[in-house]
Amino acid sequence: MHILNLLIALPLLAASAVATALPTVNEIVNHSNMITYYQGQDGRAQIKMTITDSQGRKRQRRLTILRIDDAKSDAVEGQAYLGGQKFYVYFHRPADVSKMAFLVWKHLDQDDDRWLYLPALDLVKRIAASDKRTSFVGSDFFYEDVSGRRLDEDTHELVETTKSYYVIKNTPKDAAGVEFSYYKMFIHKKSFIPVQVEYYDKAGVKYRVAKALGVKTIQGYPTVTRAAIENLKTGSTTVMEYSRVEYDIGLDDALFTERYLRKAPRKQLR
Amino acid sequence: MNEHRSNPLVRYSVDNPKIITWMMSLSTLLLILLALMPTLWPGTFNILNPLRVDTDPENMLSIDEPVRVFHNESKQTFTLRDMVVIGVVNPKHPEGVFNPASLQHIHELTEFAKTLTWPDPEHPGKQMGVVEVDILAPSVVDNIEQGGMGVVNFSWLMPKPPTTQERALAVREKAQRIPLLNGTVVSEDGLAIALYLPLTDKDLSYQVREALLEKIATWEGSGDEFHITGLPVAEDTFGVEMFYQMAISAPLAMLVIFLLLWWFFKKLSLVTAPMILAMVCSLTTMALLIISGNTIHIMSSMIPIFIMPIAVLDAIHILSDFFDEYQKRKDRRETILYVMQHLFTPMLFTTLTTMAGFASLLMTPIPPVQTFGLFISIGVFLAWFWTIIFIPAFIMFIPEEKLANFGHQTDDAQDTGLMSRLLSASGQSIYRHARWVLIGTGIAMVVGLYGISQININDNPIKWFDTDHPIRVADKVLNEHFGGTYLAYLELAPGESTNTLAAYAQGMQQRIKTQGNRLAEEGIPNSDPVFEQLAEQAVSAVSTAQNKTGLLAVLDDYINKQLDSVTDEMFDAWDEAQLFVDSERQRDETFKQPEVLRYISGLQTYLASLDVVGKSSSVADVVKTVYRELLMGKDDAFRIPDSANAVAQTLITYQNSHRPQDLWHFVTPDYRKATVLVQLTSGDNQDMAYVEAQVKRYFQDNPPPIALSHRWFGLTYINVIWQDKMVAGMAVALAGSFVVVLVMMIVLFRSFLWGLLAMIPLTVTVWVIYGVIGLIGKDYDMPVAVLSALSLGLAVDYAIHFLSRSRQLQREHGHWRDTIAYVFAEPARAITRNAIVVGCGFLPLLAAPLVPYQTVGIFIAAILLLAGIASLLILPALITLLEPYLFRKKVGG
Repeated sequence: MHILNLLIALPLLAASAVATALPTVNEIVNHSNMITYYQGQDGRAQIKMTITDSQGRKRQRRLTILRIDDAKSDAVEGQAYLGGQKFYVYFHRPADVSKMAFLVWKHLDQDDDRWLYLPALDLVKRIAASDKRTSFVGSDFFYEDVSGRRLDEDTHELVETTKSYYVIKNTPKDAAGVEFSYYKMFIHKKSFIPVQVEYYDKAGVKYRVAKALGVKTIQGYPTVTRAAIENLKTGSTTVMEYSRVEYDIGLDDALFTERYLRKAPRKQLR
Repeated sequence: MNEHRSNPLVRYSVDNPKIITWMMSLSTLLLILLALMPTLWPGTFNILNPLRVDTDPENMLSIDEPVRVFHNESKQTFTLRDMVVIGVVNPKHPEGVFNPASLQHIHELTEFAKTLTWPDPEHPGKQMGVVEVDILAPSVVDNIEQGGMGVVNFSWLMPKPPTTQERALAVREKAQRIPLLNGTVVSEDGLAIALYLPLTDKDLSYQVREALLEKIATWEGSGDEFHITGLPVAEDTFGVEMFYQMAISAPLAMLVIFLLLWWFFKKLSLVTAPMILAMVCSLTTMALLIISGNTIHIMSSMIPIFIMPIAVLDAIHILSDFFDEYQKRKDRRETILYVMQHLFTPMLFTTLTTMAGFASLLMTPIPPVQTFGLFISIGVFLAWFWTIIFIPAFIMFIPEEKLANFGHQTDDAQDTGLMSRLLSASGQSIYRHARWVLIGTGIAMVVGLYGISQININDNPIKWFDTDHPIRVADKVLNEHFGGTYLAYLELAPGESTNTLAAYAQGMQQRIKTQGNRLAEEGIPNSDPVFEQLAEQAVSAVSTAQNKTGLLAVLDDYINKQLDSVTDEMFDAWDEAQLFVDSERQRDETFKQPEVLRYISGLQTYLASLDVVGKSSSVADVVKTVYRELLMGKDDAFRIPDSANAVAQTLITYQNSHRPQDLWHFVTPDYRKATVLVQLTSGDNQDMAYVEAQVKRYFQDNPPPIALSHRWFGLTYINVIWQDKMVAGMAVALAGSFVVVLVMMIVLFRSFLWGLLAMIPLTVTVWVIYGVIGLIGKDYDMPVAVLSALSLGLAVDYAIHFLSRSRQLQREHGHWRDTIAYVFAEPARAITRNAIVVGCGFLPLLAAPLVPYQTVGIFIAAILLLAGIASLLILPALITLLEPYLFRKKVGG
């Protein structure tokens, strides 16, 4: 459901093997995490982002996201897939923010590095990113929804197993650092795609819902092609539609550096 | 006594007092029941209207009033809500609230405020109460600052309460660097903090306030002072005190009237009759108000206290006459029929004029004032109706022997009572010094005219509360520390474009050329041929397109077709072409254009130079603040960047925050409308009107770079509009009621001269009273305005009684010299008693906790007492001088 659920980690055979035995909570969240954020060694997608506010007013953005993983494996066993990642986010539209770019280096053991390129100001800026639950370019997605939340930040609990879903309740270990008290994931049993994620505030009221609205298998990887997050408190909804999704394209690690912010790799972003 | 000349209705009630009494009791009970049933048993009587209270000052204007419609639309457009404001100060700490303990409380209070939501019973699944996402408080707003070498840091201003004094001061320092927070959340003097809690519905403010007070009570003695205010709180409080007014002032008025009547007439049983009347009339009028679906509003809540003194007016005349006549006849039936016969016409006319005076309020464009006027009119009519049938009926219940010692035992001429002696002496003295009375009146009028020229038209709903009221105290404290708590919004929007499509297309051709050249220089392959093609397409599209949007759509379609099939070498060039078309579309995003934002900034600088403006905020402040921090936080970078793209990129950076929606309070997502939030330090209408006029002049003297329309909204502004309407409406109502009453007088006296004469005392009265208002510097506000029109109808009563009795007596006595002695006996006593009873009847309004009620009380009492005095002074003086003209025809007839 998240922006970068780009690649499938496992060949389908392995996936079905896991599905036969009843998995543990850790296996479920691990698998789901891999499917959502780590499929393939790298990936690319064009995104059409539509933000609709409570009054039905729409804003559209078009961007491209590139991703590359540090880990060279997609194996869930022993969390071999888990590692740092780099993201390159490039804006096409609207015209006045075109060529704007973000670079994110996601680390598992420290705060992420984040850079921002503002072409009209001819400026590359490092952004302190201690808090990842801030809006991603004014949408209802958080940076954390784009790059993923670390599994060890929450305790996970399998609260229910329905016909199609594992329902996982995730409670933050550091409650002060986040705005939710817990969130519930409805993870599809076969694909391990979190089809719905519901966030509950400190008063126990559901205030934020993420949904996978469309899934396609691309290059063998189950891929969310339409995702939405609704903020029930502001009444705003953001829908992201993914197109031209590609995995394992052999992106050069060097693209994910400050230097390429000013000099966008046009070919890869097309 | 001729039985046949008496009114049949009166005769019927004298003969059937029981039936009349039952009729009145039953009809009153029935109406009260109809009014209360839907409230006492909700849901059972759905066709009936329940009691509804309305404390919303917005309702001073009708719901479809353009300024109100615009206000509500704009509130929605910019998601602005009514707010509870909590001002926190700590006079005991040298740094005010910027110490760990106070900030801990503020943090805790904010967290607590977030929980003040409840499931909305009308919208299942939705919450109502405090809107968490729009709360303004140190712990929930974003800070933007330098985070070390080349790093910009976006984070919560106060994620958790600081533990040391140093960190507490750091919070202040950070907040004061952010224009949107300084003077709003953190006071400019660095001592106070204000929390803003937006509500889903302002009706919840009472609930929220109560919860907050409970929480705050736990910190008693900490030195922190919490002042809860904000318009919704003021309104709710007003509602509570309105009922207090009705529950205290109205019964108090009853008591005062009762005591005065008792003192005048000495007979308890007789005096109860007018009291019963007053009760019946106020209760039935209020019942009718509720049954007809009207709300209890600041105006309509005053209905009982108006009805009460007016309802007893006619009864006093009857009793007063009865008092004077009874001993002559010693027969209650004969006496009451006699009294009713010669009082019937003047009572009918005084009732009609009073009704006309109140009904004239229907001419004002203020719905609550209309309702007020209409229902008092109805109440006055009811009072008259019940008076003429119930008072005679009631008298019939009193056994003759109990009346034995009632009333004047002696002849008028030898009356020894103080009032009688005084009146009789003044009658003689006025006859001798008629000229001096009129000269004195003339001087009073001249002074009054000067006073009227000094009248200051102004109102301020916060000042409706007494100065020591918590709302006023909170208001004072907050406006001392902050940029002002009275909010007005200036909405800006591009004016109609005067550019033709052809002119636009010509400009675009130029830009296509420039951009094509630039791209070629940058080395984008094939940009020359692609942009040439684009230029050609643009030329042919102009002929078919209706407007700019159509033209760009045609070009966009064309480019998309190319992009679907182009080769790799051509892709970038066509992509740039599409980008160009999109940027053409964005030229309409007015409030991203640097020159427009600079204009707004200039306007804000000008606003800040006005005394009554504490602060203003706009999207320009957001852009400047973020731009400064992007450029290393240098003060000289606190400006609007030079291109619309730079503005857009600054704003999208700003929206990477916890609260991206904050931007939409200042500008719409299409950047076609923007607001400037203006914080005024005073809620006086004249101050708002001043700011409005100054801004208008600013726009004239400094034309914006593109045509911009500006329009105000916000409650502070709405108050100005209804005040304007009130002043204009009252002038019409005053003129209208003057003409109507004058015509009535001419009809009543069948003489133009007499009609005119009847108008003189009340004209002098209103004239002088308004002169006094001007002289003492009392603002001409809502209650004062309302009083002008209605007082005409009320004050003319004395003149009617005086003149009609004068004419009757003149017929009997022939010469005014003789007549005046009789006029200054019983008729003058009735007028004096009336003026005292009714005038004093309004004085209990002074006990009301709300200033408008006090104003009404003091002024209406003054008007009635002065009108009584004026009638007794000016009318006899004029008659003395005009006797030949006034009685010319009568002598023969």
